[in-house]
Amino acid sequence: MATEAELDVRARRKSGTHVHAYADRYFMILASWPALIAMLAVTAVPFVVTIGMGFTNYNLVAPRWHFIGFENFVELFHSPQTWPIIFNTFYIVIGLTVLSTALGLLLAVLMKTAFRGIRVVRTLYMLPVLTAGIVVAITWRAMFNDESGWINYFLGLLHLPQPTWLGSPNLAIPVVLISTLWTAIPFQAVLLFAGLITVPRELQQAAEVDGASPFRVFWHVTLVHMRPVLFIVILLRLIEGFRLFEQIQVLTTGGPGIASTPLGLQIYNTGLLYQRLGYAAAMGVVLVLLVAITVGVTFLVLPRRS
Amino acid sequence: MRRRRSGILALRILLLLIGLVLIGIPFLWIVLTAFKQPVVADASPPVFISPLTLDNFRTLFQDGYAHSLLNSVIITTLATGSTLLFGIPAGYAFARGKFRGRGFFGAFLLFSRMVPPVIYIVPLFLFFHLLNLIGSFTGLTLAYLTGLLPFTVWMSASYFQGVPVELEEAARVDGCNRFKAFFRIVLPLALPGVVSVGLLIGIAAWSEYFIPLILGGFSTEPATVGIVDFVGVDGSSWGPMAAGALCLIVPVFLATLLAQRSLLDGLTAGALKG
Repeated sequence: MATEAELDVRARRKSGTHVHAYADRYFMILASWPALIAMLAVTAVPFVVTIGMGFTNYNLVAPRWHFIGFENFVELFHSPQTWPIIFNTFYIVIGLTVLSTALGLLLAVLMKTAFRGIRVVRTLYMLPVLTAGIVVAITWRAMFNDESGWINYFLGLLHLPQPTWLGSPNLAIPVVLISTLWTAIPFQAVLLFAGLITVPRELQQAAEVDGASPFRVFWHVTLVHMRPVLFIVILLRLIEGFRLFEQIQVLTTGGPGIASTPLGLQIYNTGLLYQRLGYAAAMGVVLVLLVAITVGVTFLVLPRRS
Repeated sequence: MRRRRSGILALRILLLLIGLVLIGIPFLWIVLTAFKQPVVADASPPVFISPLTLDNFRTLFQDGYAHSLLNSVIITTLATGSTLLFGIPAGYAFARGKFRGRGFFGAFLLFSRMVPPVIYIVPLFLFFHLLNLIGSFTGLTLAYLTGLLPFTVWMSASYFQGVPVELEEAARVDGCNRFKAFFRIVLPLALPGVVSVGLLIGIAAWSEYFIPLILGGFSTEPATVGIVDFVGVDGSSWGPMAAGALCLIVPVFLATLLAQRSLLDGLTAGALKG
């Protein structure tokens, strides 16, 4: 096998023109840097600007601004809205991650059932994953409507109480969770199913021969083997939870009051509706810290290797 | 023993079917409501059966929804095309190799996946205001890169890793330079992966709501934003809304049906190798 240098020499000799040789040598840089520069421009630069803006009183209404140190953060810390909103954020993120992963795992196990037509069933379960978030939001808004919605109609048939789902502070976040789980459970299931079928059959059989019950085999062999997949699936869902937007903005509009407003929606409201960009940016800094802490804790707490 | 086995099988199938019903109910609502007469669609308590009509689609298209759908097609094409153009070569470079800035690149990919888009959007809004890009297709395409590009680099890198280096080396011994080796050998071999990445980001771009809500303009508003116009305060135009939702989901389902295999593979590969 020729070394990299020899290959380069041969390639250059054959490729002829000087431009080609130059391009050949710098191929990797030519291939990677445009993407890197584009990403820096649309993500890193705005990120740094947001951090900087968090320390100003920048405001779209009166666009004269100056640095005000930590004033935004002090105001945020003392605002009576802040703690309920942070509570909502974690309620949504953790509720979504735990429920979607647990039920997704159950669905993944069911998807492994061998019978005629299972491929069609698996495909049908993909449909909510492919549905635009905004469609999910408006459809569930219709389903949860307290007068013309289907959910209360069926509850009525069963003589169960018919709550005003979207108007009750205690029900607003559960409504958001239910509508989002409709797509999140199949999503987790599809990924977990792919992990599930990589577990070697021999391992499970060996445990069965040793007299372990099916449940114990699943818990001690299958799940242990799936740890890397479970870790990634949980991590992605946590990150996704912090991003959740249209399922809240269109479904409950964050209400009633701020009963279902997480930090992401509050940043949107503060910055783009009330135009207090400096204050919104300070909230953004807090949001990034919360995501970083959550991801860090996940890395520390959850086992990653099988 | 045998009877117990078949009992478990029946239970599993039953649970799967119950799940399918729960998955199906919102879709059933969309399809039924889209073809109901407007009065019936808003009735409370709900009326399930109504004479079929295309009235809702007529209302929708009189309100300029066709234009919104066209905008969706334009934005999806532009965003998917430019993301692939930047992202596929970068994915290859990332999979193969050693180049200046690789470590930084990798860390940055992870980081940009972690940060919620609401963090980027306010500064982008200000930049675009200065550059006169608010409401332009150029601005929207640039903004869509924030989410799509890191995903594309990450996913396509995992496909390029699956192409044996030996094939490439053989091609270069035979006189191909890196460009030729990439376009004639590596890219065709990784093509199924590239197609599924393209489909996934295409669907993501088609479904995007947050970015065009803030950076879009009246003439570039995609269907995801246009449909919200039908959400009244009292929620009283369910018919056109369901019809609009149907227009948004049918193209995606059709595309998926055509490329079912590669899409499923793509979705899972991204998580397992990423």
